Amino acid sequence: MSPYLDYRRESDTLVISLRDDWTFGNVRMLHDALQEIDGGDTPQVVFQCGGLDTLDLSGAWVLFRRSQEFESQGRRTQFLHFKAAHFKFLKSITELRGDTSRAEGAGLSPPNLTTRIAGLLDSVGRSTVARVDDIGRVTRSLLDGVTHPSRLTVAETIRQIEQSGAKAVPIVVLITFLMGLVLAYQGANQLAQFGAQVFVADLVTVAMLREMGVLLAGIMVAGRSGSAFAAAIGVMKLNEEIDALRIMGLDPNRILVAPRVIALLVSLPLLTVLGMLAGIAGGFLLATTMLDISAAQYLERTAGAAKVNDFVVGIVKAPFFALLIAGVATLRGMQVSASADQLGRLTTTAVVQGIFLIILADAVFTIVFSSLGV
Amino acid sequence: MGTIVEVSNLTNRFGAQVIHDGLELSIMRGEILGIVGGSGTGKSVLLRSMLGLHRPDAGTITVLDRDIRDRTAGLERHWGVLFQNGALLSALTVMQNVELPILLHSSMDPVTRRELAELKVRMTGLHADAYDKYPAELSGGMRKRAALARALALDPKILFLDEPTAGLDPIAATEFDELVAYLHASLDLTIVMITHDLDTLFATCERVAVLLDGKAVAGTLSEVGKSSHPWIQQYFNGPRGRRAKLRENSDG
Repeated sequence: MSPYLDYRRESDTLVISLRDDWTFGNVRMLHDALQEIDGGDTPQVVFQCGGLDTLDLSGAWVLFRRSQEFESQGRRTQFLHFKAAHFKFLKSITELRGDTSRAEGAGLSPPNLTTRIAGLLDSVGRSTVARVDDIGRVTRSLLDGVTHPSRLTVAETIRQIEQSGAKAVPIVVLITFLMGLVLAYQGANQLAQFGAQVFVADLVTVAMLREMGVLLAGIMVAGRSGSAFAAAIGVMKLNEEIDALRIMGLDPNRILVAPRVIALLVSLPLLTVLGMLAGIAGGFLLATTMLDISAAQYLERTAGAAKVNDFVVGIVKAPFFALLIAGVATLRGMQVSASADQLGRLTTTAVVQGIFLIILADAVFTIVFSSLGV
Repeated sequence: MGTIVEVSNLTNRFGAQVIHDGLELSIMRGEILGIVGGSGTGKSVLLRSMLGLHRPDAGTITVLDRDIRDRTAGLERHWGVLFQNGALLSALTVMQNVELPILLHSSMDPVTRRELAELKVRMTGLHADAYDKYPAELSGGMRKRAALARALALDPKILFLDEPTAGLDPIAATEFDELVAYLHASLDLTIVMITHDLDTLFATCERVAVLLDGKAVAGTLSEVGKSSHPWIQQYFNGPRGRRAKLRENSDG
């Protein structure tokens, strides 16, 4: 027998006596106990509520729902001996019940596959159209910012150069240095098969100048500053700070977007140069300590391999990468409009698209440069 | 009756600034208590202390005879809180927001869970077409109602409201006052609200606690109104206070 109720059949009446606490915490037991009742074929059901200690809305709902089930089986139901304090819960439910019917919502379960695929296709279409719009907007805000700089723009630009440039120096130098080490080690293993181990200096130098320096610096900056830009601007959007700027007559494009873009235009080329040097230094360290190459030999090969056009091929990409990273990140930040959840998604998007775009651009540059023969 | 919340010797300071200086407050079971006070008198800090979100510098607070510092007391099962801006989880719909506490604190079947959540949402007077919307798609008033539904999800014994009518237009604010009174009458609730809205205070609150000089002065509205403290005089007998009182008298 359940601790919450007893029931007995009296000729044509099913009498259910309730007791103990009919409250939220017991809902599952109450539900089960009510379902276990075998009413037989009695046409009348009476709930004896005098023995109830406490009742709350959840308990009252479970009770009410069972009584409705009895009704739908063609039985008459009756509640007897309710205490006034308890009866009001049942009364609230009956008052609230009624006209509102609605389609089943999503509940707390994840959406099914079909709706997800439909949503995916939908978003592909939308983002294609949006992209065209984006390019125009970013270009416009950049031109605005550069052609009409204000005092605020200058101060903010300097702050951003410090944040995204100066503070990124240690990590950029570290990873390019390590990459130089790795490159020299792997390259030396292969070149040793041809007895050409000394050319490892050429390999590291050319790779760092043409590709690795700018690409590694770009990826680091996309990760560091791309997320920072998108999140900072996004939070300002959520706090209505952007709106506040607008009504004060300040163009957010000019004082938030342009400084960030300009800051990356300044700092990414500088970081790239540092990255190139650190990479070559990494190669130097490995070659002189682990391989049979003397310092003088390595430096001589490096000096011979480092050509101006290799350096130019590398450094010329930096401003383009900077534009892509800052453009995407500030745009995604500006697109935040509704919620913290969206802020997170758009910040992720800013970083992923930033890295994707600079690698794509790098591929395009490689094709162009090789067809030009530089 | 008995007390449901007991605050004794509460002391809070931020640096040299003393917010609460040995504050004493008893909240009675089943009452609606309004907490008022000027800016910076520590209304929010008091609320946050009662909820265990702020660690007081000294003093003890018991809610439902359990010490607030006792993490294992399971108090979160017995109270509901309506934060000032709703604080609905933005990634979930209204219904999901209301279902979440039920999901966390019970093992009932999903159908009952959804029905109970819907019952609470309906109680707050939200339209059915708002149930599956996200908080960002709701107006301020609807967001408050949805947040109230979430606060009621676990059939709490005590409900904390932080500025329930702030940001609502007078009609929505009046409706909200009526809703609070209706919920108080139909569920066995103790309601503690911070409010600046004198209309709300006169229309719904049975007792009021005024925060002054780090202490709380509590009593019925007429008792507190008789105090000679200048802030209380200014508050209750200023133009807004007089108007709200008049309106309440002519209604009753």
